[in-house]
Amino acid sequence: MADVLVGLWVEDGTVPALGLEVTRTAAGVAAALGGRLTALTLGAGALGASDALHLAGAAQVLRCSCPLLARSPGEAGLRALEAAAALVRPGAVLLAADGLGRDWAPRLAWRLGAVMVGEVVRWRCEAGRITFERSVYGGKAVAAFRPATESVVATLRPGAAGPGGAVPAAPAGTDAELELPLAAGAGWPVLLRREREEREGPALEEARVVVAGGRGLGGREGFASLLELARALGGAVGSSRAAVDEGWAPPSWQIGQTGKSVAPDLYVAVGISGASQHLVGCGRAKTIVAINQDPEAPIFDHAHLGLVGDYREIVPHLTAALREGRD
Amino acid sequence: MHAVVLLKRVPDPELPPSAFSVDPETLRAEVGRTPHVLSSFDANALEVALQLREALGSLRISALSLGPAAAEEVLRKALALTADDAWHVLGDDEDLDPGQAGAVLAAAIRRLGLPDLVLAGRQSADWEAGQVGGVVAEELGWPCLPFVSRLRPSSAGLEALQRLEGGEAVYELALPAVVTVTNDAGNGLRPARIRDVLAARARTLEVLELSALAGGALGRGPARGLLGLSVPAGRARAEFLGGASGREQALELARRLRQLGAV
Repeated sequence: MADVLVGLWVEDGTVPALGLEVTRTAAGVAAALGGRLTALTLGAGALGASDALHLAGAAQVLRCSCPLLARSPGEAGLRALEAAAALVRPGAVLLAADGLGRDWAPRLAWRLGAVMVGEVVRWRCEAGRITFERSVYGGKAVAAFRPATESVVATLRPGAAGPGGAVPAAPAGTDAELELPLAAGAGWPVLLRREREEREGPALEEARVVVAGGRGLGGREGFASLLELARALGGAVGSSRAAVDEGWAPPSWQIGQTGKSVAPDLYVAVGISGASQHLVGCGRAKTIVAINQDPEAPIFDHAHLGLVGDYREIVPHLTAALREGRD
Repeated sequence: MHAVVLLKRVPDPELPPSAFSVDPETLRAEVGRTPHVLSSFDANALEVALQLREALGSLRISALSLGPAAAEEVLRKALALTADDAWHVLGDDEDLDPGQAGAVLAAAIRRLGLPDLVLAGRQSADWEAGQVGGVVAEELGWPCLPFVSRLRPSSAGLEALQRLEGGEAVYELALPAVVTVTNDAGNGLRPARIRDVLAARARTLEVLELSALAGGALGRGPARGLLGLSVPAGRARAEFLGGASGREQALELARRLRQLGAV
């Protein structure tokens, strides 16, 4: 029997979608381990997030809204998680595979003497031990880990799947403020400013249609025609890592193992060769359409529909045809 | 100022999946004959260090790699790109878990003289654990700032640009510190000059034995509990849509998308 701790960054009183998903998964893990789930909310919006977390299965919600979190989110959040873990003594700590989760996980694991597994896509539980699956080698292989330590720390990718089964909500749980004797550590990095990217249309992770471009676009201009297509489809534009490295697309558009993970109804890959590390980020799409000049491009081994040709000729006609159909 | 850059030699991640297989007995990738390269985010880390040296005017850059004899390749590459010295922790690291590798690297960093800054790729291109930078920071008792793509000198030490999925953040970074590096359009590794490549061949590497450095780190054995390593089954090949022109292909695709209810 072991309890589970989930750590969540909550900026404005609402738990982000991935945070709620991780909480529901963590509730499933806690049930499988025969323990209770504690959620620790970190950040200025920690107050007010409790109801949603209880509904997602947290028996206990701890809040930490220490002002140091805004100044040094990585270091202060790590200290808070360490304090919460000292209270809960969890068998598993689960975090979202986002910037802060990936920052905290290896260092928290080191402090707890735990093994960490990152970027988990599937979990199961046998005889009180959890097995985590993740992709490795840029998506060319899948590895399964069953850590031998008493506690584990894991980060979960969006859509991480478990054995299933309903997890009871815990609407009558308890709430407490986590009192942290938190003083800034010497030499902590200090956040000076943050720039959130403004983008047109739906967020990439939530869009029902994603149109993504890669090195085959041949230049920044190619993304202009993808934006038109995305607009006609009510979707969002993404990119491969190659296009980000070329400077044609901002890093926040990157989809793949080290970028965003999307699960739209329709994914249109334009000029993307289909490296495994990219497919890790778009493989959950219901329908994948690939447009590429090279009939041997690996993307065609993963797409449902393929068009071999010059996107400069295909995409504008496609945009026009889809617009016509809507009028 | 002194920076250590952690470099790992890995099977070329650009190789197609058809060139990749797994030994089900040893749970290791069968990559013996495939070309190997410097892990991509480590290449970005080296470039960030080189750019920082240019901005500062001077910076000692030490390259450090843990791995078998062939790891020498990535160290010589770093020397060809004007790293000042190169340190090789020689040994088979394939079965080390990231906590052990981080502890060994931290011990090596202490051995070569504590620097002001350690740079590491955010994750390696093989096992992709994304832990070594954080573990090294913990072992040294230093703060860690992950996902940095640019560093520049500031009054407090360094100013770091952090690239996250939702946007970017700027941090003031006091030293000593560990940073992990992610890719952006400005930190692709520059090519080496032929003259420097030739000069690097003649350089002597500092060699440390893994077994001598590991101390207690290896005694407990890997705790990660690797149960399985397998290649996922491929999906069926795409259905190709024909058409005499781009326009015909586009119209056919539009029709099929409507049929599928995807639009």
